[in-house]
Amino acid sequence: MSTLVRNSWLSFSEFAATFGGFQMFSFRLLPYLPGALLKPRLISEQIYSIGVLSLVLTMFGGFFVGTVLALQSYGTLVEFGQVDALGAFAAEALVRELGPVVAALLFAGRAGSAVASELGLMRATDQIAAMELMAVDPIERIVVPRFIAGIISVPLLAAIFSTVGMLGVYLVGVHLLRVDAGAFWTHIHDRVDLFEDLGNGMFKSFVFGISASLMGVYEGFNAAPTPAGVSRAATRTVVITSVWILLFDFILTGSTLPGI
Amino acid sequence: MTILSNQTPANLIEIRDVRYHRGDRAIFDGLNLSIPRGTVSAIMGPSGTGKTTLLNLITGQLQPDEGAVLYEGRVVCPCSRRRLYNTRRQIGVLFQHGALLTNLSVFENVAFPLRAHTRLPEQLIRQIVLMRLHSVGLRAAWQKMPSQLSGGMARRVGLARALVMDPQLIVYDEPFAGLDPIAIGAILRLIRQTNDVLGITSIVVTHDVEEARMLADLIFLIADGKVVAHGTPERMKQDDSPVVQQFMSGLADGPVPFHFPGPDYAEQLQAMSGS
Repeated sequence: MSTLVRNSWLSFSEFAATFGGFQMFSFRLLPYLPGALLKPRLISEQIYSIGVLSLVLTMFGGFFVGTVLALQSYGTLVEFGQVDALGAFAAEALVRELGPVVAALLFAGRAGSAVASELGLMRATDQIAAMELMAVDPIERIVVPRFIAGIISVPLLAAIFSTVGMLGVYLVGVHLLRVDAGAFWTHIHDRVDLFEDLGNGMFKSFVFGISASLMGVYEGFNAAPTPAGVSRAATRTVVITSVWILLFDFILTGSTLPGI
Repeated sequence: MTILSNQTPANLIEIRDVRYHRGDRAIFDGLNLSIPRGTVSAIMGPSGTGKTTLLNLITGQLQPDEGAVLYEGRVVCPCSRRRLYNTRRQIGVLFQHGALLTNLSVFENVAFPLRAHTRLPEQLIRQIVLMRLHSVGLRAAWQKMPSQLSGGMARRVGLARALVMDPQLIVYDEPFAGLDPIAIGAILRLIRQTNDVLGITSIVVTHDVEEARMLADLIFLIADGKVVAHGTPERMKQDDSPVVQQFMSGLADGPVPFHFPGPDYAEQLQAMSGS
């Protein structure tokens, strides 16, 4: 029993220390943000490496989520005689929910872990110490550009995910399942609202982008300078970011639904 | 940053009664050491005696628990970040494995401090970088990436980068570790030449006795958290104290024991068979 209590206390202490360290690190980044915007080249390089290089995976995911969504929802809609609403149904699901969440999860797996590993390896191979000793602030030079690039990239990737997803829905719905193309687009036009639906999805993506990129840079920058430390940082980034995304999704969805 | 004297001190680095603990273990317990200007000084000692910790104290990466590390008569740490960075701009550091930025080419690695701290025109940056690369014999490798370099080449590029801001002090952390004899010879020659031609001060942390004898003007031997012996290589060779003899002759056992401290072997066997 005493072992259980001791282990629980140690786990709680570790959690509290990590949480405290994470908050301190987040506050440490804030003063650098305005200055970082004056160095757009560093940010654009990172947008390329974490955003553009995630495009293929995001588009692939979006397309197949769209096709499966169309196939799965078609059966239910047929039962209720609402096949023409397939487009609107899928569009709302993609834009409000699946696009932001799945794109952010893919980003955490592809780019978040890459950022954590890269920074962890820089720590392990003395590159961060070398920058410090060259009187170059590593937070300003390597952490903040990656953080900002993540915040910019995730909403754009989510938008691309939803767009390609709709292409998948269209191909399966209209060309395979013979839904009327006119009704498909008309229902989308009538149902999907620019601010309420797209705005909601973009806001979620923005929050997920902050979560994913902040966790990646925090875990990587503070990784133990060993091979095990680097691998642990990458794993923790994916696991913790995924939990955050799902938790924030619930909170944001609940707080933006009318009547709640 | 505390200024202790208005005159330019004869010693570039002064370490005064420094105590530093890691957890319960005392790494330094009253360490005193002075590095004269213009010399190559070797810091030596058995593994785990805190040689790299000493470099971290000199460069302000660590702060002593007690005592002071002075650079040009000024306390290195604690001080503001800006002051610390100003001091570091006068210090070049060569890491054990070069610590080159892996996403930048050789040229960009050497140009990195210039781009970060100066607004020099691109033409001038190109000239300075090629000159530094030429001095370490790697001008032709300017386009290569760090992954394409051997260990010795990476260290030479690291040296070119450390020199590019014209520092007053260069600190070398284990510069010979893991290198073949030709690369060791090249690094030895470069350290000596750089020090003499540019009139700078060099600190070399190493446990390679032969290389230190060939290279250094002064050798400091650290053990048990203190400097146990120091002097010219000749003087160190003649020093007959057991710890100096053990280290300089590479004896396996002596004041630095072969066995990690622990209980008696027979007692341990008995205790383990009893349990």
